[in-house]
Amino acid sequence: MDDRVLEIDGISKRYGQTVAVQDLSFEIHAGELFGFVGRNGAGKTTTMRVVLGVLAPDAGVVRWLGMPLTFEARRRIGYMPEERGLYPKMRVAEQLAYLGELHGMADGAAREAALGWLERFGLAERRDAELQALSLGNQQRVQLAAALVFGPDVLVLDEPFSGLDPVAVDVMAAVLRERAEAGVPVIFSSHELDLVERLCDRVGIIDHGRLVACGTVDELRAGGRERRWLDVPAAPDAWEPGVPGVRLLAAAGARRLFELDAGVDDQALLQAALATGPVREFERVEPSLGELFRTVIGEVAA
Amino acid sequence: MTAPSARPGASRHLPTIVLVARREVRMRLRSRVFVGGTIVMVALVVVGIVAASLLSGKTNPVRVGFSGGSQALERTFSASAAALGVKVTLSDVADVTAGKGQVTAGTLDVLVTGSATAPAAVAKASVAPNVESALSLAAEAARLSDAGLTPVAVRSAMALVPVELLAPTTPRDTQNLFASLALGILLWIALGQYGNLVAQGVVEEKATRIMEILLATIPPSRLLAGKVFGIGLVGLLQLTIVGAAALVAVHVTSVAAIPALGMASILADIVWFVLGFLFYATAYSAVASLVSRQEEVQSAVAPISILQIAGYLLMYAALPNPNGPLATVASLLPPFAPILMAVRMASSTVPLWQPVLAAALIVASIIGLTWLAGRIYANAALRLGTRVRFTDAFRG
Repeated sequence: MDDRVLEIDGISKRYGQTVAVQDLSFEIHAGELFGFVGRNGAGKTTTMRVVLGVLAPDAGVVRWLGMPLTFEARRRIGYMPEERGLYPKMRVAEQLAYLGELHGMADGAAREAALGWLERFGLAERRDAELQALSLGNQQRVQLAAALVFGPDVLVLDEPFSGLDPVAVDVMAAVLRERAEAGVPVIFSSHELDLVERLCDRVGIIDHGRLVACGTVDELRAGGRERRWLDVPAAPDAWEPGVPGVRLLAAAGARRLFELDAGVDDQALLQAALATGPVREFERVEPSLGELFRTVIGEVAA
Repeated sequence: MTAPSARPGASRHLPTIVLVARREVRMRLRSRVFVGGTIVMVALVVVGIVAASLLSGKTNPVRVGFSGGSQALERTFSASAAALGVKVTLSDVADVTAGKGQVTAGTLDVLVTGSATAPAAVAKASVAPNVESALSLAAEAARLSDAGLTPVAVRSAMALVPVELLAPTTPRDTQNLFASLALGILLWIALGQYGNLVAQGVVEEKATRIMEILLATIPPSRLLAGKVFGIGLVGLLQLTIVGAAALVAVHVTSVAAIPALGMASILADIVWFVLGFLFYATAYSAVASLVSRQEEVQSAVAPISILQIAGYLLMYAALPNPNGPLATVASLLPPFAPILMAVRMASSTVPLWQPVLAAALIVASIIGLTWLAGRIYANAALRLGTRVRFTDAFRG
């Protein structure tokens, strides 16, 4: 297994009285797509800026290949900041090539890579246009190309999907997946939880500057509350299963959705249902990432 | 591990400062402002020099025609004219009527008629006073020799009173003053323009948020240095083009005798531009990094703009007396030295220690400012939104 790991170890950062992130630790492995989710102002952007060295943390360290990140190593990170930014009056291909060279590429290779990525994003014929002449969606693609142009060792992308049309989302997702499969640790933040669930190998949920959950979506589900759909046509409308730790969430005709606290035996619920008569359906429902997210955040807020 | 498109090419790796500077040069050279500005400056300088040469140095000789008996005056007239400093060309006119026709037509300036002892002058609108005097002198000499004086006696009788000038002004001095002033204005415009370009460039990177990408790649000090060098090179190129055009114009119009437009003076001006630019560019970059929007640039750079305007006004105050105490002291101070010392050196003779001291002071302050600006810039570059307080940026 590849041992190239980006470690975020105990990062804290405060702005005056405001705590932006507090003792944040997680790892991203080579070949892994890591989704970073949290509410606005939860500390995602601060964390990414610290990783990029754009912001100095008050405490903690970021390691790459087991060593604290040096400036040279940081130059090898592809970064897409939350606030998009490129030179509006500079030609697209020239701009990408310039950024490639700033990241240490030779001029010919930078030019070639710039054209290659523009081709990939369907912008080849706009290569000599000024950036400001492009639509916002296309500017966003150029922004991603700017993060990719020099063949980064690590990718850090802040909200790469915001403002993209569905086709562009697919292209972006495919590129991220491909980079991850090529062995690059990829971390990105997003509010599109369905997308994160579909795309990411692991997810970190951050709230009020603290990491409140981290793992694969399945791991996040384990230990959480489980849900069951039951179709009990003979049960009365006000039927209660009478099992401790089970709550009715929703009813649709004879179908009812129950939530079970962690550790509650679902067979007890089934027994109670069978006691009312026939049971046509007994289905285990996996909560979506969105539901998990709300649960986790809700617990912290409570 | 790297993307397939990132194959190493068989070409150059340039230092980041050079990359940043090269981008600035490319972008500026491509802009209409540079091309248009250079054309306008060259045109103004060339037109100014040609106009100066037409207005002063080159007076055409006065064409004087003599008819009949007055032709005997020709030799003494041309001698007197030379003594009075008038250039004349003489011709014989056979017929008075034809001569008057030539005067009316403008092919002759003055027609002299009558006899040698009683000549009369005919002109279209006026006769230059010196020409009239030379003619009177020639007629007087003819009358004296007619009265029996020997040529030697005539010459001593007609001798001009010698005049000694204690502080002569020549047309050349006035020209030199104007040329010095023009150089000063040009230098002032260039310093203001390129200083402001640096300020705008710094804010552009903050306003468009590209700063975050750039600073994830290169240290702020190198980004700033590359920007200052790149814009400075463009300014230097523009001034060199204008300077070269001025030298060519001076050569062609042969007003080369004006010291302010000589090679040494123009080279000195370019050195002063470089020093002044480094001084103002670092100052401009520091204050500009405190704001995040282009609209705020003007108010942010106001303190430095005021300093520059003060330099401009001091130039006018200093020029009439370029070696007086005000001019001498002001031209040693770093904010004013680039313009005032350049103007003083062009318009008068300045003791060598003064420009050397002024240069030493400005170099020292550039070093100090670079340290200060680097610190402010590094601390303020990523603070977007509201204007950053100077003291906050300094503390970091």
